[in-house]
Amino acid sequence: MKQKRGTILLENVIFIILNLVFLTILILFLFRQGSGAIVLEQSYAKNIALLIDSAKPIMEMKLNMEDVMDLAEKNGVNRDEIVKINANVVTVKLTQKGGYKYSFFNDVDVTAYPDVFPEKNYIIKVNGYK
Amino acid sequence: MNLIKNKRGDKIISVYWFAILIIVAGGVFGMVYIFYGTPYDIREIEANVLGNQIADCVSYAGKINTALISNGRTSPKIGESFLKMCHLNFKSDEWQDEQYYLEVKIYSLGDLNNSILNITAGDNKWLSSCALQTNRQIEKLAKCIKKSFYSIDNSNNQYIIKILTVVRKAEKNVKI
Repeated sequence: MKQKRGTILLENVIFIILNLVFLTILILFLFRQGSGAIVLEQSYAKNIALLIDSAKPIMEMKLNMEDVMDLAEKNGVNRDEIVKINANVVTVKLTQKGGYKYSFFNDVDVTAYPDVFPEKNYIIKVNGYK
Repeated sequence: MNLIKNKRGDKIISVYWFAILIIVAGGVFGMVYIFYGTPYDIREIEANVLGNQIADCVSYAGKINTALISNGRTSPKIGESFLKMCHLNFKSDEWQDEQYYLEVKIYSLGDLNNSILNITAGDNKWLSSCALQTNRQIEKLAKCIKKSFYSIDNSNNQYIIKILTVVRKAEKNVKI
């Protein structure tokens, strides 16, 4: 009788542990998907393109990119290389191989560079019309 | 005997329990994949911003741009240089074809049937998307936004300005 009770207890413990492992994997998967590089690259590229489209010359916009900076650092991407603006295309790069491009229609000369303080900000500066 | 029966029952329940968990997990994975796999659709916002930029260019602070209409007279050559005048650039390395189209129609307040100035720019093949979406929105087609407002020229003549902006960029905003 004692042995049988012990077996039932052990089975229950294993069952509960497996359930917990299962739920943990599920929650981790959800968090990873939400803060994944691909999603963030797309979201920031589109955000920056819309900001530039709405901007007027000599405007300076500070964008808090704390979450992206940490992720880029972890993936070995330099802070200066996260946001690049060539002609009228914004590129946000958070992984060595990745990068998302989105174009804007406002014909302005724009420069993007990381802020010195606070370090987690990025500055988008509209210098003037082309 | 009762104990053996109960144990069998427990095992069957646990097998079913794991089957349910796997089905639930499959559902969650599928939903998350669909949710994050679908791109953010910003074309409507983009078309609105483009409309606002054009409105600012055509009429600023309630006065119509003198390069378009001055003392009741319209400028005939504005069509070609409109994009440059409004600081817009529809060409991009990202796309082979232009992904935008715009239409500005200026009506005299006395005659709202015939426009006195008609300006178009961009690729007019996206215009057909607007007609197809009058009753319901179709995601894969270009997004169209219409705006209209009132303005006066430097001789206080009154006008109604109608702006139509079209943004395609379907590949970047919709799962195709």
